[in-house]
Parts: sequence; structure tokens; C-alpha cells
Amino acid sequence: MSEKKQNVGKVFLNGVITENPTFRLVLGTCPTLAVTTSAINGLGMGAAATFVLLGSNIVISALRKVIPDKVRIPAFIVVICMFVTIIQLVMQAYLPALYESLGIFLPLIVVNCIILGRAEAFASKNPVVASAFDGLGMGCGFTLALTLIGCIRELLGNGSVFGINLLGTSYQPMLLMILPAGGFLVFGSLLGIINALTNRKKGAAK
Amino acid sequence: MSLILSSAPHVRSKDNTQRLMLNVIISLLPCVAAGIYYFGWRAALVVCVSVVSAVAAEFIWQKLARKKVRVYDLSAVVTGLLIGLIVPPSAPWWMLVIGSFFAIMVVKQLFGGIGDNFLNPALAARAVLLASWPALMTSGYNVGKFDAVSGATPLLSGASVADLLLGNVTGAVGETCKIAILLGFAWLLFTRTIRWEIPVISLASACLLGWALGYDPLTTVLSGGLLFGAVYMATDYVTTPMTQFARILYSVGIGVIVVLIRKFGSYPEGVTYAILLMNIAAPLFDRIPAQRIYGHTKATKEGK
Amino acid sequence: MKATFRGGVHPAHGSKRPTQALAIRDFVSDTVQIVMNMNIGAPSKPCVKKGDHVKLGQVIGEAVGGLGIPVHASVSGEVVAVDAIAYLTGEPAQSVTIKNDFQDEWEELHPLGNVESVDPALILPAIKAAGICGMGGASFPTHVKLTIAPDKKCEYILANGAECETHITCDDRLMQEHATRVVDGLRAAMRALNVSQGIIGIEDNKPAAIAAMEKACQGRQGVRVQVLKTKYPQGGEKQLIKVLTGREVPSGGLPIDCGCVVLNVGTCAAIADAIIDGKPVIDRVCTVTGAVRSPANLRLRIGTITEDIIGECGGYSTDPGKIFFGGAMTGLCLPNDQLPMSKSTNGIVVMTKEEAVSAEEDPCIRCGKCVDACPIGLNPYDMKIFADAEKWDVCKKKHVMDCMLCGACAFICPARRWLTPSFRIAKQKIAEQAKKEAAAK
Repeated sequence: MSEKKQNVGKVFLNGVITENPTFRLVLGTCPTLAVTTSAINGLGMGAAATFVLLGSNIVISALRKVIPDKVRIPAFIVVICMFVTIIQLVMQAYLPALYESLGIFLPLIVVNCIILGRAEAFASKNPVVASAFDGLGMGCGFTLALTLIGCIRELLGNGSVFGINLLGTSYQPMLLMILPAGGFLVFGSLLGIINALTNRKKGAAK
Repeated sequence: MSLILSSAPHVRSKDNTQRLMLNVIISLLPCVAAGIYYFGWRAALVVCVSVVSAVAAEFIWQKLARKKVRVYDLSAVVTGLLIGLIVPPSAPWWMLVIGSFFAIMVVKQLFGGIGDNFLNPALAARAVLLASWPALMTSGYNVGKFDAVSGATPLLSGASVADLLLGNVTGAVGETCKIAILLGFAWLLFTRTIRWEIPVISLASACLLGWALGYDPLTTVLSGGLLFGAVYMATDYVTTPMTQFARILYSVGIGVIVVLIRKFGSYPEGVTYAILLMNIAAPLFDRIPAQRIYGHTKATKEGK
Repeated sequence: MKATFRGGVHPAHGSKRPTQALAIRDFVSDTVQIVMNMNIGAPSKPCVKKGDHVKLGQVIGEAVGGLGIPVHASVSGEVVAVDAIAYLTGEPAQSVTIKNDFQDEWEELHPLGNVESVDPALILPAIKAAGICGMGGASFPTHVKLTIAPDKKCEYILANGAECETHITCDDRLMQEHATRVVDGLRAAMRALNVSQGIIGIEDNKPAAIAAMEKACQGRQGVRVQVLKTKYPQGGEKQLIKVLTGREVPSGGLPIDCGCVVLNVGTCAAIADAIIDGKPVIDRVCTVTGAVRSPANLRLRIGTITEDIIGECGGYSTDPGKIFFGGAMTGLCLPNDQLPMSKSTNGIVVMTKEEAVSAEEDPCIRCGKCVDACPIGLNPYDMKIFADAEKWDVCKKKHVMDCMLCGACAFICPARRWLTPSFRIAKQKIAEQAKKEAAAK
């Protein structure tokens, strides 16, 4: 790919909507399914991933001409590791509750295929500013998706969103939704709805 | 003269999908009657709500998805009836509606509608309800005739064989009266709606393993939902294997898993999960080339 | 003991009742139209022209090629046309139309006499000259079937009197009324091939035929009757062989590969006519039933027009929706009632408009009834998926070529899926493909 100038707004929106990592690319499904038992968990996971994406995209893009092609993957991983360690320590210090509930999935951001994928597919081939916006866009898209799934699962499984009870005390929570099976159900249903909407749009465009 | 030209055969058996489903519905009527006799009007309400909501779910989905409305094939009625018969008689209406909608929309229609679901819709709905509202699904058996009884567990409670046969024990709406279930089984066999292998083999294997593990064989069969599951759930066309050998494997699997869950699992009853697990395994069993094809011998195979 | 096979269905539903008790009666019409492609293999070549006067039994079409058979005039009279018509397969065929003079003036015949004393070497040529082909429906030339390759050995000749198809009762009546002829024909075939065992298989829903045949077999060398369970397709060649001898025809092979030859009882009777009387095939028994006023078993001259036959049976009882030659499980549909019957037409069934409506295909509910019904042991639901997707090579791997198109799976399917028609197309496509590959080599 040539390094032509790209419209940063377009790059950003591409990450949020057109190539939403969760719903369109279906990447990073492991944290998507595992941590979205509540809206705050989804948001926290999304924010952490966004930070790592933004940082790693900028650094990798800046270093793209000095990283030898043969060892680029280990080099990317080292960069990503650095940012994951930063966010992990920061979270542990300031948001211990969230840190606890995200558990193993926080360090596992290192091998999250969205981050590695963007480093490989975008940052290593594009200038710093565009890469930054790509990282930000992808991160926002991921965060939005996770928060949405988290909201739905928390609402149905606990009657609340971000810890605020919305459905009243008489609501009998549907426990299934905060069990792993609920994650698959909500994720699958949302994927289906989004595909149906896009197909309809495509049909209308034709 | 305009004559229809078509390829043979020119006659079809009278048993179409709708008629087979009607046979299943007729065979379930004794269970419904027994449920109403033992648990009172609540049982009737439970069955009505689940049937109506299952049919509504099917209709709504097919309208929304702009598919041909196939409510007339009665398969949604069967699913609704089955859901109504495997929940406690005091199940709240909204739970039944959610169960029916889940069974029809998620388990059945999302995978392609009738014939394409890989799980038994009614049982999947029961598993979902049990996971979502465990308290509501494991209590509330003591209504109707059992108002005064308190704390009886639905399984292996030491009831007499006669009580178990007549259904004079607590349990899900349609699962308790074994006589009614056997009547329905007889009707299904008489109309050749199902074959005898799956119920009989799964019950027999449960009996044998239960006996080996120290259970009374008769109580193993008559308690809990095993008989109902073996007759109505395990025999659901869509989710059972197609070939004879695979059917036997499937049936034995159900019997074995039921007893293993009862003996070693943390759930008191394992029929639902045993059948669902075997549902998932059914397509794998079907891949075993067990049937001998006419004219194919070892010699012809080696010749190739 | 009533012998039977794995799988199968029970489609008859009393469809044979209207004609089972009716004796065979003769019907001769004004004109006959005799088509030249009544046999499998190359069509015969007409050897008469318009205006010729023909005698009964005179050769009007000469055999062409190894699978050819001669065609004989089925009435005496004047040839009024020699032209092409579109016959059942849709492909044009030559036909000879003869105006009947009702003189029934025979061509000179050469009877060979008693089947037990005739020189066995003369039997096969006589069968060929009589233009006999399989009368059960397959119309395979009988003399070819009875010509055994030197590396094969025939141990059994089986007479097929199962008549498992719906509606048809012509073999039943033939066995009741002409039992001795059937046994004579079977004996002739046995003597021609020097075979010591002949078995006549009859389904147990024909007690009168069984009694008559058992009586006729008394004192005859090496022939016996075996009662079979009534089940479709009991009369399928492969099923009959399995049931009567315990052997199986190897996949892709012929009955002779397991030492058997199967002849329809009608074919046996035709052989007896050819040997004892020297008569060629000029008529056959045919059941006419369904939506006609008076169903009947008729002895029809070959080439009688369907409309005339229906007229003889009192006409249509209601507006016809579908007419087919043969039983309801494998019968071939007619586009109109102007087509003539042939040597292999064992029945003409008229369906009402209501009966004729084909049900719409519903989604498969995976009930497995087709798997249980398949007499071969195939998985029809599975083959249908790939036939619908036009994946012919996958169909072939799933043994669609072993399918004999009996229709049992399509009959039993509760979702009314068009299983058999799909397999028919699949088999055609695979055969075409194989032909192409052979041509390319």
C-alpha cells in the first residue's frame, strides 16, 4: 500500500462503523464474550484496549521504517506489551475493582488480534497521524460494541445498567444472560441483526 | 384435455408433516388431562399460555422474516405443549412466554425453521429457564392436590410404585402420571408416528446402569422426567439420528447420561441435559456408515 | 415362511381391489398404432409402407443392433400410415398404423411343440423371432437376457409374479387363468439355459394366483412357488433375488453376476406362446383402472390407442387429471390419451383432477422415514440435499447410482419431498458425465 494522505475523519469512522472490529470483522471475540457481564466491565475493557491500540499504533507507525520485516511480529508484541503493562499498573492502582473483574483478560490484551491486526494491517504501512486515528477509531468501535453488549446483558441479567436499577425491584433477573451462554446469545443476535440491517441497506442501494 | 405430467411416484403416504404433528398432539392429551387432574386449573393455564405464545412466536417470526407462514404444520403447537408439560405447575406466565419465544425464535427459526434446529426447542427452552430462574423452576410443584404436602422433592422421594405410576407425586405438569405417558406412547406406536427403539433402548440402558449403580430399576424409570423425556423429547424427529445404528447409540447415550447425572451430578435430574447433549451428537452419529448398501460387499469395495 | 427384505413401504391401500376379481377379456380396436421403440436399445426399422396389406403376426419392423427385437402386426389389415410420433420418452419414434379388417388372418406360424421335448437350441432363436421383451415394464429384450456370457453361469431362473406395484392386477389374473402357460415358459427358459432351479415368487395378497400356480407346478421338474410378504418393492429384481436365493446383485452389475435371471410371469407366458404355438407377441394383458367407469383386465392388441381402451372401459368417470402407464409408484405419465400402449404396458391408471395434484415440497423434518424405507440401504435425505445443490459428484459418492428409483422414499416422505425425481435427474447427469469422460478419452 502506498503512503498516500488519508482522510483522518474517514479513517476514524471506518474503525467505529464500517469495519467495526467486533461486529464487522468479528475480531477479539474472547474478551467480547468473557468480560461483558456488565456495562462497566465492557466499557473498562474497551477503554483499556483503546489506550493500547492508540499507543501501539502511534509507536509502531513511527518505527515502521526501522523495524526489520522478518522480526516485525515480535517487535509489535514488545511495543504492545509495554502499553498493556502501563494500563494494567494504572488500573490496578486507581480502579482496583474493575481490575479485579477484568482479571486475566486485561493482560491478554497483548494477544488481542484487533491490536496485532491493526499494527500489521495499518500502522506498519501508514503515517503516524492516520495510524493514531485508526487506533482511536478501532478502539472506540470496540468500546462501543462491548458497552452495548454489556448493557444488554446487565439489563436482562441484573435489571440494571452501569449499576443503576432500571427495571424495578419486581423484575426477576434472567440469570442466563450473565452466564457465558448469555454472552454468546447476545453477541450472536446482535451480529445477526446488524447483518440483516446491512443486507437490507445493500438491497435498497441496488 | 389437460393432463398433469409428473415424475413417479404418483401416490404419497397419507402421513404428512401436519398429520404426524397432530398425532403427537393427540398423544399428549392424556398427559395434559392428568396434569389438570393433579394440579388443578393452574396446569391448564400453564399449557394454554405456552401453546398460544409458541404459535404466536412462530407467526410473528415468519411475518417479520417475510417467510411463508407455516403455523399450519402444527409443529409450534407441539413445542408449546411440550414446554407447558415440563415446567412446574406454578410457573409464572411471563416465564412461559419467554420460554416459548426462545424455543421458537432462537432455537428453531434462527437456525432455519422446522427441520433445521439442532436442539430440541422445548428442552432447550427448559434449559434456558432453569439456568435463568433456578428458584422458580425447582420449586412451586406443590399446588392443586399437593397443597398440603411440603418439601417433597420430585425425584427418588421414596414414593410407592403405584403412586409413581398414577402420578400421585409432585413434579412437572405432564411428567408425573406415567400411565398417561404410556397411553400416549401406545398411540404414537399405533399410528407409526415414532419407532419403538429410542424410548425403549434409552429406558433400558438407564435401567441397567442404574441397577449397576445401586438404584432400583423400576424407580429409575418411573421417577423424574425420564419416561416423558424418552417418549416425547428424545424422539423429536429433527434432532434424532436418521440411521438405525446411530439411533441405538443415541438412545444408549441418553440412558447412560441421565443416570450419571442423577448419581454424580449436582443437578437432581439430568434428562434435559442428557437429551440435549445427544441432540448435539446426533449429526456425528449419522456420519458413521453403519448401513450396508445392497450389492456392496467387501469384494466390490476392494475392487474399487 | 413368507420371505421379505429390509425396508420397503405399503402403498397399495386397496388400489388393486377393483380389478383383482375380474377375468381377462379380449378387446380388439379398429386401428392400432405400433411404435418401433418398445424395447431398450435401438428402435426397430419399419419394413412395410403405406397401403400394404399385412397379416396378423407379420413382421412390420426389423430388429436393429444387439438389443433390437422384431415388431409384428397385431391385427390384419391395411397399413394406413408409417410416420413419427413423440412417444413416452419424448423422443420421436417411428410408428406403423394399421386399419383392422377384423379377419385375424394369421401369417404362417412355426410351432415347436411341447416345451419339455423341444430341442433346447431352438428356444432362444424362437424367443428372438417372437419379439419378446420384458413385460414387467423394463422392456429389456428377453433373448439378450437369456444369452449368458461364457464366463458366467446361470443357476436360478426366477419368475417374477410379485406384482408389488399399486393398481396393477394383470400378472395376478394371468397366473390365475393361464398358470400352465407361465410354468411352460419358465421351463422353456430353464431348458434353454440348462438350469435346474426355477422359482416363482408371488406376494401373499394373491391367494388365488398362488393356488393356481402351485397346482400348475405339480409334476414339473425343478419349479416351485415361493410366497412373499406383500410389500413394495417386493417385485424389484434386486429384492426378488435377495429374497428367493439369498444372493445379492453386485453394485453396478446384472442379476447374472450372481447366477440369476429374472423373468416377469407375463414374459414367461409369451415365451410359452412362442414355443408351443409359434406365435409372436401380438397382445398382452393390461389392467385399466382408476377414474374409469368399469375397470377391467383386458387382453389388448399391441398398439391399441389409450382413448379406445378407456372407451372400452366405459369412459372416464370424471374429468381425468393424470393418466399413466404402469403402477402409481413408477408409472410414466401420458401427455394425452392418443398414445398407443406397448409390449411393456402392464396397466393404464386414470387419476381424477384432485388425486393428480402434486403436493408442494415442505422443508425436510429429518424424520428418517426415507432411510427406513429405502430397500437398498441408502440415505435419501442426504442424497437429496446434494442433488438439489447439483453436486452430482457428491451424489455419486453417496451411491445415488445404486438407487433403483422405486419411489419408496418419496412415497413415505411426510414433507412431500421430490426425492425420486431428484435422484432420476442425478443419475442422468452422472451417466452423461461418464459418457463425456469416456468420449474425451
